[in-house]
Amino acid sequence: MPIIELTDVFKRYRVGEQEIVALNGINLSIDQGEYAAIIGPSGSGKSTLMHLLGCLDTPTSGRVLIQGNDVSTADANRLSEMRNSHIGFVFQSFNLLPKLSVLQNVELPMIYAGVSSRERRERALASIERVGLADRAGNTPLQLSGGQMQRVAIARALVNSPRIIFADEPTGNLDSKTGAAILALFRELSQQGSTIVLVTHDDKIAAQTPRRIEIKDGRIVQDFFNPDADLPGTARPLTPQPTPTS
Amino acid sequence: MNLWFGFLVGLKEIWSHKFRSFLTMLGIILGVASLLSMFSLTAGMANGMRQYMQQVGGIERVGVIPQEPPTDQEGFAEISPGRTIADAEAIARSATLVSAVTPISELAAATVSFGSQYFRTPAYGVWPDYVPINSHEISRGRSLTWLDVESAQNVCVIGQRVTQRLWPDRPRFNPVGESILINGRPFKVVGEFTFYETEWDRRQRELSTKSAAPARTKRPTKGSSSSGRGYSAFERKNSTVILPITAMFYNFKMANVVKNEDQGPQLKLDALTIQVADIARFDQALEQVRTILEATHRGIEDFTFDTRQEWFDSIEQGIRNTRLSGGIIAGISLLVGGIGITNIMLASITERIREIGVRRAVGAKGRDIFIQILVESAVIGLIGGFLGLIASFGIMRILVLISPTENAPVLQWENVILSFSFAVIIGLLSGIYPALKASKLDPIEALRYG
Ligand SMILES: Nc1ncnc2c1ncn2[C@@H]1O[C@H](COP(=O)(O)OP(=O)(O)OP(=O)(O)O)[C@@H](O)[C@H]1O
Ligand SMILES: [Mg+2]
Repeated sequence: MPIIELTDVFKRYRVGEQEIVALNGINLSIDQGEYAAIIGPSGSGKSTLMHLLGCLDTPTSGRVLIQGNDVSTADANRLSEMRNSHIGFVFQSFNLLPKLSVLQNVELPMIYAGVSSRERRERALASIERVGLADRAGNTPLQLSGGQMQRVAIARALVNSPRIIFADEPTGNLDSKTGAAILALFRELSQQGSTIVLVTHDDKIAAQTPRRIEIKDGRIVQDFFNPDADLPGTARPLTPQPTPTS
Repeated sequence: MNLWFGFLVGLKEIWSHKFRSFLTMLGIILGVASLLSMFSLTAGMANGMRQYMQQVGGIERVGVIPQEPPTDQEGFAEISPGRTIADAEAIARSATLVSAVTPISELAAATVSFGSQYFRTPAYGVWPDYVPINSHEISRGRSLTWLDVESAQNVCVIGQRVTQRLWPDRPRFNPVGESILINGRPFKVVGEFTFYETEWDRRQRELSTKSAAPARTKRPTKGSSSSGRGYSAFERKNSTVILPITAMFYNFKMANVVKNEDQGPQLKLDALTIQVADIARFDQALEQVRTILEATHRGIEDFTFDTRQEWFDSIEQGIRNTRLSGGIIAGISLLVGGIGITNIMLASITERIREIGVRRAVGAKGRDIFIQILVESAVIGLIGGFLGLIASFGIMRILVLISPTENAPVLQWENVILSFSFAVIIGLLSGIYPALKASKLDPIEALRYG
């Protein structure tokens, strides 16, 4: 059963007189437990797509179903709730709050979920342990390395047990060795059953995920399963894309 | 997100910008300090005034004072005898709505002496009712009686300041039974009034006698006509000397020499004071007295009433005005403080756009961000208000030292609470706009910012 379903999704931006079509008719379906990479050149619409999938934004037209909820017409509060309970984000620039400790950063999503402080602490510590930073819970982000910061971000993304984790260029700010370790962590999470959607423009990274969705000029131009990736994911034909409007 | 957590986040944010937050709070601190000090000052003033008003006889006390007769009576105004004992007698006899009346004939600056000590003070020839009308109380001996008046006894009742002046070496001397001279005529002291002072004076006196018990306080210099210490509302009242009005007439008013010529007995009154029995029927009482006096003055309207209503009203009005203008000044400073908070909160939001984006991404609603910013600015108001209270306690200590004693500021808890709540409310209000702005930020743009 698909956890994400997009039908005829368009996103247009109006900048003065000019209209920019960031997403030009997207049909996409992602199943529970999949590990997919969205790849494409700069400006192709990857981030825009991820914002829609991650309930940070709504499409200009078309339908976005997340876990069966139609979020294309949801109001801002509903989107916040969806993000809080169903979605975890990992960003290229980590986006940790520098004044809070690692523990407090990881607790953040639970604060908005109304979790009691004791449970918050327990769950945050468990999540931090899961990314291998149990001994750094009391540190502030600025005392950590880039790879460690990204691990904290992943722990934060995991802490509310979301349905899907979105990562936008999660290794973009890391050296290749650290990046590889982060990807290994994603792979591990995927094996444990998490649904992960990764945004990248790096073919080497996309080659490691079981599914590879390539977009260009706001359209999906390729969607196939890696025969090499030894990860779960059912073989499935390319979702038919609507004809582009211009 | 609950409020308590927002409060902690706010505290943390303020603490991480200690100096900036303090500067922001300064306006609030000054505002609260001046508001509370001003409240306490006016409360002190009001207190002093009300005590004084009580002591000089309340609003019931009305003076009958002379006035120019109306123009149509000018030609024959001399047929009126003016204010005389007869007026007082007529009022005492007929004015049912008047509870007390006294005629007054005075010596504006009588020399009161005993042995080598003398003291210059006004002396009043009165009826016994003078005592209740002016809220006098007898502490030792007795008051004047009708018998004293009818038989024109050379007796007097004196205030304690007079005793202190005439017997300076003998603290708490009982003058009752002593014979003193008033303008050279012997009078027997039959009674002494209580010592009148404000609450504040009493406390100060008790404190100073406790701390410097054995050492006698500095004696006033012999023969000085006014008190050695600062102005006190009751100095005059404590220096009172009263005698029967008949004795006043016989001893001092039978001859009146002007330009080497005797003008004959001077039996007109210097003052005529009544006490209205029931404030609720104040105007009717005055009407009654007017009717009586029109008869005794043969229809000439050469008198009017000196009610204290206006005086008291103007005092109350003055207190209100002071409070208002002080309030406006304090209000302006609070307003400026509030603008400062708004300004700093706006700056702080710009600094934290990214943070707001992150919070939104992990599930914070616009409302959560709104509350967070609002709580932060309320906390600034709260802490500023608290520091302002402390500052105003300090200011008050200084004011106590420099302000006239009977107007010493009075700290009232309702004013403390009022000033403090003002600060918190200002903090809240000035946070609304920044909070609204922060809550309206688009999460995606906020995340991309910087
Ligand atoms: N808020 C916006 N207003 C106007 N145009 C926008 C806005 N957001 C995105 N776009 C445009 O939409 C297109 C897609 O942008 P998007 O950020 O999704 O690209 P991307 O694939 O993530 O690129 P990159 O790899 O550089 O991050 C671009 O042409 C971009 O300029
Ligand atoms: Mg992007």
